Amino acid sequence: MKPRRVSPPISNYKIPDYDINFFWNGKKLTAKKGDTIASGLLANQQDIIGRSFKYHRPRGVMSAGVEESGALVTIGDGAYTEPNISAPTEQITEGLCVYSQNAWPSVRFDIGSILNQFSRFLAAGFYYKMFMGIPPFEWGRGTSIWMFFEHFIRKAAGLGRASRLADPDIYEHLNTHTDILVIGSGPAGIRAALTAAKSGADVLLVEQDFLIGGSYLSQPDKIEFIELTEQLTAKNITILTGTTAFGLYDDETVGLIERVSDRHENITQKLPRQRFHICRAEKIILATGAIERNYAFINNDLPGIMTVSSARTYLNRHHLLVGEQIIISTNNDSAYETALELKNAGANVTILDAREQIGDNLLQKIVSNQIHLYLGSAVAKAENGFNSASIKKIQIAELGKNGWQSAGSLRCDCLLISAGWSPVIHLASHQGFPINWSEENACFYSSGNSKTIFLAGSAAGIWNRQGCIQSAIDIFNIEANANDSAHQKMGGWDTPIKPLYEIRLASLKGKAFVDPQHDVTASDIRLAHQEGFISVEHMKRYTTLGMATDQGKMGNIIGLSIMADALNAPISEVGVTRFRPPYTSICLGALAGRHRQSHFKPIRRTPLDQWSLRHSAIMTEAGLWRRPWYYPEKGEDLNKAYIREATTARRSLGICDVSTLGKIMVQGPDATEFLNRIYTNPFAKLPIGKARYGIILRDDGMVFDDGTTWRLAENNYLMTTTTNNAASVMTRLEELLQVRWPQLKVHVTSVTDQWAGCAIAGPNARNLLTNCVDKPDEMSHEALPFMGVKQIYLKNIPCYIARISFSGELAFEVYVPSDYAPSLMQMIWQNAMAFDSCLYGLEALGTMRIEKGHVTGAELDGRTTIDDVGLGRMASANKDFIGKSLRSRQMLASPNRPQLVGIFPKDKSKKFSAGGLLNEAGKTNSHPLGWVTAVTYSPALGHWIALGFIEGGLQNTKDKQIILTDELRANFLDIEIVSPHMYDPEGTRLHG
Amino acid sequence: MIQIICPFCGKRDHSEFSYGGDGEITYPALDANEESWHDAVFLRENIYGRQIETWQHIHGCRSWLLVDRDTKTHEIFSVKLAHLDWHILLEKNR
Ligand SMILES: [Zn+2]
Repeated sequence: MKPRRVSPPISNYKIPDYDINFFWNGKKLTAKKGDTIASGLLANQQDIIGRSFKYHRPRGVMSAGVEESGALVTIGDGAYTEPNISAPTEQITEGLCVYSQNAWPSVRFDIGSILNQFSRFLAAGFYYKMFMGIPPFEWGRGTSIWMFFEHFIRKAAGLGRASRLADPDIYEHLNTHTDILVIGSGPAGIRAALTAAKSGADVLLVEQDFLIGGSYLSQPDKIEFIELTEQLTAKNITILTGTTAFGLYDDETVGLIERVSDRHENITQKLPRQRFHICRAEKIILATGAIERNYAFINNDLPGIMTVSSARTYLNRHHLLVGEQIIISTNNDSAYETALELKNAGANVTILDAREQIGDNLLQKIVSNQIHLYLGSAVAKAENGFNSASIKKIQIAELGKNGWQSAGSLRCDCLLISAGWSPVIHLASHQGFPINWSEENACFYSSGNSKTIFLAGSAAGIWNRQGCIQSAIDIFNIEANANDSAHQKMGGWDTPIKPLYEIRLASLKGKAFVDPQHDVTASDIRLAHQEGFISVEHMKRYTTLGMATDQGKMGNIIGLSIMADALNAPISEVGVTRFRPPYTSICLGALAGRHRQSHFKPIRRTPLDQWSLRHSAIMTEAGLWRRPWYYPEKGEDLNKAYIREATTARRSLGICDVSTLGKIMVQGPDATEFLNRIYTNPFAKLPIGKARYGIILRDDGMVFDDGTTWRLAENNYLMTTTTNNAASVMTRLEELLQVRWPQLKVHVTSVTDQWAGCAIAGPNARNLLTNCVDKPDEMSHEALPFMGVKQIYLKNIPCYIARISFSGELAFEVYVPSDYAPSLMQMIWQNAMAFDSCLYGLEALGTMRIEKGHVTGAELDGRTTIDDVGLGRMASANKDFIGKSLRSRQMLASPNRPQLVGIFPKDKSKKFSAGGLLNEAGKTNSHPLGWVTAVTYSPALGHWIALGFIEGGLQNTKDKQIILTDELRANFLDIEIVSPHMYDPEGTRLHG
Repeated sequence: MIQIICPFCGKRDHSEFSYGGDGEITYPALDANEESWHDAVFLRENIYGRQIETWQHIHGCRSWLLVDRDTKTHEIFSVKLAHLDWHILLEKNR
């Protein structure tokens, strides 16, 4: 194969004509501006572009589009490496580095190609068989031999490799809206855009190629196209080139990937590399064209074999004649025009037509132009030359009385195939629109939904240009829509197509590929059938047909026809697997967009975030929140800091940001009734100025959330929720009020972000606050009893104050509107200096709550009942509440359910960590009795402690020897099960 | 991507909404027996076709909605505010 440049036909279509350089495996080559990697490599006579997936067979350019199955390359270096690029679709830019794939040491001499000799073992399903020891692998069963081979095979098989470095580029997301979206800019697409625009609609025309024009670009005469492009400048038409519509989704939503800038340019221009458009349209026209198919014959993957239409594209778009001795094998009319153009460009052309008759028009043109024609003929086998991987010769098959038979050979340096056309119906298939088989046109087709989604042009199975254009006009013609018969009919050839999927002669041996990119052969399909995989969906997965990056755009139908043949059924009955997005490979970076690294999820900062950072806080993530974790002093680590903080708070005074607690205002005449229904404990008689701890169950009786609710006025409550459940409690309350109990007059408002809070805990808490009020009486036990709530001025800052304790110490929570939070905290902290005091973070907070046996999300995990956590007394017997009925299910009352307990190590010097299971001694291999939910070092007790659940609780484990087993860390510890209230169980400290 | 016409906010992407559940369930009174609560909470039809669902316009007006939707085609036939008094009021003042 010796492709050469030819002079472009004289026309007024301006093409840039200057040289650019690029690098192929490090070697500098020259191409023309406008070349794709494929045309650039062909122009430099690079016939072998890569090695195949499994057998390492040499592969060259097989097409001129997204269906490419052979010429996959890697482009770019370092972090800019991008593997598995389809060479015919990527434009060459100055200095582009292109590399071959899956070959070592080089594409011309590849050690992996030895696998081709072992192909008997690599047929469909070889992995399954290998590990199961099924023939021909029976000798490998139970041996380590195959483990060794597997390693080797995994390494050898494959496509390109990713760089494993972070993607340095920027990607953006856009919401794009248009009236009419036209996908594809060939004759039908352009006409659809122009017709739609005439009505005044906004039109978006997208084209996956970097140039608009579709099949116009592959034609020698471009006068019509030039006229059309001038009309496309209408201001209600937007054109996006280099933009792939990769998926069609519900409600006329299309995913578009727009390739904005070349990698080298975007660094200086600060442009995104790609944009991901979520495009919504009123109407979508799929003018996505059709893809020319090949067929299965022996060695149909040799370099030098490509589709007829691709040779036409290379000739008329890139001015590249792909061979001198060209054989065209076809079964339809479409190849003849190309044959003439190739002949006129100076090649010797021979046509093998599988049909035994063709129309007189075609016949005369061919004969008068000295093109050799063999009717009733096809290729049985392709052969490469001595010392050359490229095609040199073909064995011909001829239709005889008993079917195909051998009929001599022909020499050539290029073989072009056209075994029919497959309309690109992928997007219609994404939405599940019906896909039907046309016997007459030997293709699958779809009609969209005929309301908002239409197919036009060759995507609708129309093969002549005028018909394609008319089909686009028809979509917008109301009369034509009303009268279906006026629609353009599929087809458009003089002589009907003759189905051609495989030529197989008993006398010839070798591999005939169905899916070259995944190295699936015709015999793999037959093997799958023979082994019982008769559904196409099973066959696809067993053979991996159509599961490579090209998704079998050229070969799937061959596989289906071979399966149909084996099943002795028509293709229409075998069916087709549903296409899945994306239509072509898309970059994950584009889907991620800006949502990466620190933008992966939003950060919720408390109003005290900056204040805490200025006071040396180390922050941690709690859901979306960023919270102070600990406040190290003088080089303390986490452990030293939290122990000091918890110790100080219990000894004297600690201050903590608790702004993240969920806060919901519950207001209205029925607010009391509402709270009484959602909490398990009674709220009907909660006095104004008091808070109450409450538990909310789900409908199924499991614990949903807990928190305190403060009665601020007759019909005005402030409910607090756990930090984690703030949003779901809010949603739940709204659901109850809007869906279940619409008659209740209650309004709920989330005020989590509006109010900031800090907890002041420790024996000196009241002393500190007394220093902050005008009259010391205001902070007395009588003025603010346990669970009391009131408005108060602290050094002239108006606050709500509640005497609530999570730490188990005498404690208060002070709330102010968020903007006042730093002033409040600053004032309190300044006054705290007079005491032995500290700021404490989430870690010390956790330590103190574990010591007290207070439950949080770790315990209330959706599987625990109110009794499991020892709060059964919170469930009122005298009123109804949500979850009451199902809470009393018999199984939930079982005394053997896991119940909340405290855990001490027997040897108090032992440390242990979270994640362990609780077993009875001697039964560590059986089902565990329980698990650990939270672990900490307890400064108050002077040893490590934990909370956990164990079957039957404390009661049931009194006489048992329990072991904490941590298999992962090989840690086994004798433990003692104790009450979860491990510190100050009587609560004397709480009351100061 | 499904779009839902919120009676209050207009046509919005489904990413603004969160799915609730079967909208045709009548929850029993709080003091109803275990069996009727069991049926309401745990028994669900797995409908392949039209069903009434509850959705919340969680990133919008936070209304709970009754959506009449085909689970097979995703076609939406009607959207109402679940709070029917509010719905009537909204329609009246349109
Ligand atoms: Zn809304």
